[in-house]
Amino acid sequence: MSTLEDLEARMTRLEDIKQIEKLQRIYGYYRDYGDWQKVVDLFSDDAESVEVADYGVYLGKQGVKRFYLELLGGKPPRVGMLSINMQIQGVITVDPKGKTAKGRWYGFMIEARPIVSLHEGELRQLWGHGIYENEYVKENGKWKIKKLHFYLNFRTPYEDGWLKTPVVGQNGPDKEVPPDLPPTAYHPYPSGFHVPCHWKHPITGK
Amino acid sequence: MDLEQLERRVQLMEDIQEIEHLQRIYGYYFDTHRWKDIVDLFSDNAESVEIVDHGLFLGKEGVRKMYWEWIGGKGEQRPSWVQFIVMQIGGVVTVNPDGKTATGRFQTWLCEAKPYGAFPRQEWLHGYYDNKYVKEDGKWKFSKLHWNNTFCSPFEDGWLKTPLMGLMNYHPTVKPDAPPTAFHPYPSGYHVPYPYKHPITGD
Repeated sequence: MSTLEDLEARMTRLEDIKQIEKLQRIYGYYRDYGDWQKVVDLFSDDAESVEVADYGVYLGKQGVKRFYLELLGGKPPRVGMLSINMQIQGVITVDPKGKTAKGRWYGFMIEARPIVSLHEGELRQLWGHGIYENEYVKENGKWKIKKLHFYLNFRTPYEDGWLKTPVVGQNGPDKEVPPDLPPTAYHPYPSGFHVPCHWKHPITGK
Repeated sequence: MDLEQLERRVQLMEDIQEIEHLQRIYGYYFDTHRWKDIVDLFSDNAESVEIVDHGLFLGKEGVRKMYWEWIGGKGEQRPSWVQFIVMQIGGVVTVNPDGKTATGRFQTWLCEAKPYGAFPRQEWLHGYYDNKYVKEDGKWKFSKLHWNNTFCSPFEDGWLKTPLMGLMNYHPTVKPDAPPTAFHPYPSGYHVPYPYKHPITGD
């Protein structure tokens, strides 16, 4: 029979996983609406980095602010812009000490936006897909995002599909809000790149 | 920590899990046209149900009218090619301190096939739920369901070309209690309000 302390520890672990799942889904809902300040506030003040597709690496909380507020949030709003990124199928692994965690998610995207690298011209409707491998940290009882990395798999015009046009346009490096480092891993379809899983095999432990 | 405190934490965890399952079960029932079973997922004291631009339906009787009479066609047998797949994704469930009521935001991604006038059409839909739940006799039920449609677009066109295939605000015999409280599909830029507070700042 477990002691009360054992049970409390197991309870805390379940609560941690649930809180992180909510955090990541809430991230998705804020980013869908371009609520960038709310997104920034989901990150720890000691955030390590944010890296999305080919934008490059933005370091520290300052980098998080530059990426979301200045780069993504710095463009004037435009009628018809749409970016939905559904946060699906989380696998959360909480560190034994309960202070940090990692999470893998699918992002499936439904978008309408101009192909930014070419021109600010007509809106295109896009399918997108990618994988998150993120890190989280617990501070004052609340889970926050410590590191976010979205590996883009494809972003394709609706009319073409991923086989014909795996990635349309280029995001970075942005000239006005440059990244601190180039992309660490940008290998969209059909590279065959497998985004490493943060966890050990649940059965074999390898 | 004592046993009572632990029990409260277990209870909260069970509540969230049960509500997530309730919402997903709703989706599976919808896909398989189990309209009466959907009505039974609602509290007898249900507040309202609102879907796309059908209008606002009040009370449990409104819930019955919405699912059984309007969407379900009073149990009408439909050809097997008519398809709803209403995927229930991204639940953010918040149980209120009373432990008896809760809110939930989910989103849906739909692959549908159904007749439009005389023609079979296939379409994509997306939308956000803004729902409320109530616990009665130890079981969580819907007390309010509101599905905000982002787009309903033909497969051949997509959301940019044809955000909405047509209005769905008329039924010859089933009438809502009030017009839609919010129906602002793409490209309106409308933001469905978040039912939760910011998890870090509390705003």
